[in-house]
Amino acid sequence: MSNESAPIDLRGDRGFQDLRERIYQVAFLACAVISVLTTVGIVLSLAVPAVGFFQNVSLGEFLLGTQFSPAIRPKVFGVLPLVFGTLLITAGAGAVALPFGLLTATYLAEYAPPGRRAVLKPMLEVLAGVPTVVYGYFALVYVTPLLNAIPGLELGTFNALSASIIMGVMIIPMVSSISEDAMSAVPDSLREASYGLGATKFDVSTGVVIPSAASGIASSFVLALSRAIGETMIVVVAAGQTARFPGDVPGLLTSFFKSTQTMTSAIIQLGLSDLSGGTTAYRALFAIGLTLFVMTLVLNVVSDLLVQHYQEDYD
Amino acid sequence: MATGTERQGTDRAAFGGVSRLRGVVFRYVTFAASLFGILSLAVLLGYVFWDAFGLETAAPAWYATMVVTVVLPVAGFLLYARRNPLAGRTALELAATATGGVLSGFALVVVLEVIAGPGLWFAYFLAMGVPLGALYLYGRRVEASWTGLAVLGVLVAGPVVGTALLGPLSRIGGFLGGPGVYYLSVIAPTALVARHVVDEYLDGPNGNYVALATLVAPILAAPAIDTVAVLSRSVWLLFFPTLVVPFSIVAGRNLATPGRRVGVAGPLAFALGVGLLAVVPDLLGVAGPSPWFDWQYVTSAPSQTAEQAGLYPAIIGSIFMIVLVALLTLVLGVGAALYLEEYAPSSGPAGAVTQFIRINISNLAGVPSVVYGILGLAVFANTLQFGFGTVATAAFTLSLLILPIVIISAREAIRSVPDSLREASYGMGATRWQTIKNVIMPRAIPGILTGTILALGRAIGETAPLIMIGVATTKFSPPSGLFGKMTAMPMQVFTWSSYPSEAFQHGVVAAGVVTLLVVLLTMNSVAILLRNEFERGDY
Repeated sequence: MSNESAPIDLRGDRGFQDLRERIYQVAFLACAVISVLTTVGIVLSLAVPAVGFFQNVSLGEFLLGTQFSPAIRPKVFGVLPLVFGTLLITAGAGAVALPFGLLTATYLAEYAPPGRRAVLKPMLEVLAGVPTVVYGYFALVYVTPLLNAIPGLELGTFNALSASIIMGVMIIPMVSSISEDAMSAVPDSLREASYGLGATKFDVSTGVVIPSAASGIASSFVLALSRAIGETMIVVVAAGQTARFPGDVPGLLTSFFKSTQTMTSAIIQLGLSDLSGGTTAYRALFAIGLTLFVMTLVLNVVSDLLVQHYQEDYD
Repeated sequence: MATGTERQGTDRAAFGGVSRLRGVVFRYVTFAASLFGILSLAVLLGYVFWDAFGLETAAPAWYATMVVTVVLPVAGFLLYARRNPLAGRTALELAATATGGVLSGFALVVVLEVIAGPGLWFAYFLAMGVPLGALYLYGRRVEASWTGLAVLGVLVAGPVVGTALLGPLSRIGGFLGGPGVYYLSVIAPTALVARHVVDEYLDGPNGNYVALATLVAPILAAPAIDTVAVLSRSVWLLFFPTLVVPFSIVAGRNLATPGRRVGVAGPLAFALGVGLLAVVPDLLGVAGPSPWFDWQYVTSAPSQTAEQAGLYPAIIGSIFMIVLVALLTLVLGVGAALYLEEYAPSSGPAGAVTQFIRINISNLAGVPSVVYGILGLAVFANTLQFGFGTVATAAFTLSLLILPIVIISAREAIRSVPDSLREASYGMGATRWQTIKNVIMPRAIPGILTGTILALGRAIGETAPLIMIGVATTKFSPPSGLFGKMTAMPMQVFTWSSYPSEAFQHGVVAAGVVTLLVVLLTMNSVAILLRNEFERGDY
C-alpha cells in the first residue's frame, strides 16, 4: 500500500487542491461506511420486530418448542422443527458436496495437468452461478421423477432428498475452490520430503497434503454448510412446506422422502402469506430470520478463523 | 511435481508390495468426482433445453439437417480451435461482443424508450449529461483543479434542475423527436468514448477516424433501416452504439490480424448454419420442433393459458432493475474499494476501524439473501417509503446484496496495479486523487468491470429477496417508472413452477429458465472476454 509515500508539498500553496483531496476522501469513506450501515440495518431490522415477537411468545417457547404452526390454531411457534429441517437438508447437501468437493480439489491441486485445470475450474464456477430458483425447478421437475424411477424409493412431489442433492451439486465449487487454495498453499518441500522417503503420489496426496491443508479444508466445509443453511429458493420450490420434528416420522431416513420445511422456507411462507404486519405470526418471521442470521454468522466467523490458521502456518 | 509411482519399479518387493493400482484408481476417482457436478448440470440443462425448444415433435430428418448445418461445422471449428487457440479466442470475442451488444442494446431500449421516453430522458441529459461531458472535456485539456468539484456539484444539482425544469426541457426533446434526441444524447457521446477507448487501449486504428465513422454511419444507414419494418429509427440509433460500434471494432481488428482471420469463420459458420436450419426443413416439408421459447413468448404478458403465456413484463422489470443496480454498485463499490486500498490507514486506532470494515464486508458476503430481503423490507419499503415491490426498492435491496462481492473484486483489481506506478506518480508531485484518476483507474477498470458483471449475474437470478420486499408474483404490464410495481424473470419462473399442469412444468417454465440462462451466459462471456482482453499482466 501507498500510505508511506504521501506527496511532499513542494509548491507551498495547494489550498484548493487540499480541499478537493479532502472531499474525495470523505466521499470514498462514505461509500465504505455503507457496508457498516448495512450490518447495523440488518441487525436492527431483524431485532426490533423480533423483540415485539418475544413479548407475546417467550424465548424458551420459541427456542425449545417442538411444533411450528403459525396459521392453524393452536398457534405455536417452536423453531426446533425448522432447525431440524434445515439441518436435515444441510446434512444431505453436505453428504454430496463435501466428498465430491474434496476429491475435486485433490484432483485440481495434485493431479490435473495445467490445461485441463484451466478448463475445469471455470466450468465448476458455472455450477455456483446458476440461479437457485432454476436449481429448485430442476429438483422438482427432473430430479424427483428420476429418483422415483429407482424401485423401492417412494418420494413425495415435494421432498428433502432431491432438494439436498441439487443443493449439494450447487455448493461443490465452494468446497473445491477453497480446499484447492489450501492444498496449493502446502509447500513443495513437504511433498519432496515424503517422495524422498519413498512415498507414492497417493501417499503424498492423502497422507501429507490433505492433513497439512486440514484447517483450510475444514474452513471450506464450514463455509459451504453455512451457504446451505441460508439457501432459500431450492427448498421453497422443491422441498415443500411441512414443518416436521424427528418424532413425527418413523426413522430419520424416511424424513428425506417427505416434504420438509426449513427456516428459510418458513420465512418465505410467512412473507408471502400477506399477513398484515403486526400479528404474532408475521413477527415470527423476524425471530426466525434472526436465528438464521446468527447461525450463518457464527459459521462464517469460524470459517474465517480456520482460514487465518492455515495462512499463518505457511506464510 | 515428480510422480512417485514410477520410481519404485526396481525395488518393489523390498518395499513390501507398493501397489501401483491404488494410486491409479485414486487418480481416476478424483477425476470422475470433479466431473460429477459438471455432468449433472449438463444433463439437467439438456433436459430443460429439450423442453423449452419442444424438440420431441421434430422429425428425424430435422435432426439430420441440424447435424449437417450446425453441429458438424461447429464441431469442426472447435477441433480446429484446439490446435489454433488464437482462432478460438477470436471466435469467443466475436460471439461475446455480438450477444453482449444485443443484450445491452435491449437494456438501452427498455430504459430510454419503453420506460423513460425520449422527452424525459433528454431533459435529464441536458441537466446532467451535457455539463458533465463539457467538464470532462475541459478537464482533459486543462488540468484545472476545480473541474472535479464541479462534477460533484453537477451530480448533486443536476437531478434537482432537471426535475424543476422538466416541462420546458422535455419540450426541447419533443421538438427534436426520438431519433434526434438519441443522435445527440447517445451517438455523439459514443463517438467520444469510442475515440478514447481506441486510442487508449487498442493499438491500430486512429481514434479520430473511428469517431467520425460513428457520427456518419448511423445517418448514412438510415434509408436502409427505414425499409425494415421491425426496426424504428430510434431502436436503430440505440443499438448502434451497443452492438454495431463494438462489433465493427472487434471484427475489424480481428480481420486485420493475419493469424486471427480464420477465427471469424467459426461464428460465421454458426450463424449461417442456424439460418439454413430455419429455412431448409420448411422447404423440404419436414416437421420441426415446436418451441415454447420463441418471439411470442418474449413479447407477451403472462397468461393462464400456456400457449399464450409470455415473459415480457418480467424481462422489462429485470432489465430496468439490473441497470439501476449496476449504476449503484459501480459507484458505491468502487468508492469503498478505493477508500480501503488507497486511503485507509493501516495502523493505529484508525487502522483498527479499517480492519473492522474489511472483516465486516467479508461477513456481509456470507449473509443469506433472504435476510437481505428482510433488510430491504424494513429499510427501503417501510422506513424510506419506496413502496412494496417497486423497482426502486428491489434495485436498492439487490445493490446492498451484491455490494460486498463488488467491493472485494474491485479491491483485488486495484491492488493488482503495481506500487511502482503509484510511487512514480507521487514522485512527480501528483496528489492522491490525481494518481487514482490518471494512474490507478485506467488500469483497474477492466478488472472492476469483470467483477461487477459477474456480481450482476448473481443479482439478476435472485428471487428470495424479491419475495420478501413484496414483488408481485405475476404482473401483466411492465413497470411504469422508478416507483412503479414490478416483477422479475426469476419471480415469474418461481410462480409458474408451482402450476401443476404439464404444459407449464415442461414448457412455459422451461422457456423462462432458458431465457434466464441465456442472459446469464451472455453476461458471463462478456466478463470473461473483458478479463482476457485487458488483464494481460503486462506490467
